[in-house]
Amino acid sequence: MENLLNPDFGVMALTIVNFLLLVWLLHKFAWKSIIGALEKREQQIAQDKETAALARQEAQNIKAELDAKLKEISNEAALKMQEAVAVGNAQKEQILAETQKQAEQLLAQAKEQIAAEKTKALADVREQVVSMALLAAVKITQQQITQETAASAVDEVLREVKQAGVKTH
Amino acid sequence: MEVSETIAHHILDHDLGVMIGAFHLPITAHTLTMLGVSIVLFVVAVLLSVRGKSLLSRLLNTVGEEYVAFMRDGIVVPGIGKEGIAFLPYFCTLFLFILFSNLAGLIPQMKTITSNISVTGGLALCSGGLIVYAGIKTHGLWGFIKSFIPGGTPWWLVPLMFPLEVISLIIRVCVLAIRLFANMLSGHMVLLSLLLIIFIIGQMSKMAGVGAAFPAMGLEIFMTFLELLVAFLQAYVFSLLTSIYVGLVVHSH
Repeated sequence: MENLLNPDFGVMALTIVNFLLLVWLLHKFAWKSIIGALEKREQQIAQDKETAALARQEAQNIKAELDAKLKEISNEAALKMQEAVAVGNAQKEQILAETQKQAEQLLAQAKEQIAAEKTKALADVREQVVSMALLAAVKITQQQITQETAASAVDEVLREVKQAGVKTH
Repeated sequence: MEVSETIAHHILDHDLGVMIGAFHLPITAHTLTMLGVSIVLFVVAVLLSVRGKSLLSRLLNTVGEEYVAFMRDGIVVPGIGKEGIAFLPYFCTLFLFILFSNLAGLIPQMKTITSNISVTGGLALCSGGLIVYAGIKTHGLWGFIKSFIPGGTPWWLVPLMFPLEVISLIIRVCVLAIRLFANMLSGHMVLLSLLLIIFIIGQMSKMAGVGAAFPAMGLEIFMTFLELLVAFLQAYVFSLLTSIYVGLVVHSH
């Protein structure tokens, strides 16, 4: 059992030679290729990440640009809406004022017409009353007028005048 | 044959006595196993690296790349830093060589070559050589020698500190060899002892031997799984410690 701790320098030397040879062989035929592939894959991943980051940045820029445009358009629309409302209000006021003016003009015209018609009607009544009075006077003078007949003639004239007054109104 | 002899027979190396003239070649059971392990490792590593379009080939490539990435990001860079990537092939080979050597002992008729102090000593010397090489490569020969004297050491302490630091480096290398050797040897001794319990009790009474076989086999299976874990663990520890020692030399001030 004591041999366990006694190193065999021949085996040790062979181990060193074997191991270093293996390191060299594997470096040449295996690790170089694997490390190369690994680095290539990592570079590819790094490139993809970079591309993705650039694309993301670009997308963010476009989004920011679109947001700004949208905001601008929204502001413009709000401004135009305000302008339209103001124009509408002004037009409304103008139309209302014109309408009011026209209504007042029509009312004044109507009043003038009514006054003219009234004056005309009164003039007509006066003419008829005069003509009736003349007619009554003629009739009275033509007939032998008694107290009673005269009264009845006057009543008749007044009745005719009244009827004529009703017709004019 | 006594128990200790039986254990020694299974664990100790056997010289095959190959001579070339008067020169004795160190062809032993362990060196032959080491050659077998090296061939298998070479084939496996080449299979991992060969590019192909088949599913199996791509799977092997992925395994190879993941292994190298693990060695780089889990052992080399944490221990040495980015400067250590140049030594990545060494560490990739070291880990797999120790792992395959450890596992070889679990295959019937094969030997655990890492339970041989000469083999672990050889591996530790290779790591020691790497430590010195990395130190000289980084700081130059004079810088490397100066790195054995810690910064701020008073001049009158230099004659004491320099040999201490040199001995410290040698001890680190020796510790690498002894740790691997002791762990693998003890595991196999326990496995063998558990098996021998059956025969020792069986010599006293056959029925007792049969009765002892069941718990002994249960323990044997448990220990075998533990050995599997230890095989990975020791390969990892050896590689990690080597990278840390290299890192200490590379980053010494």
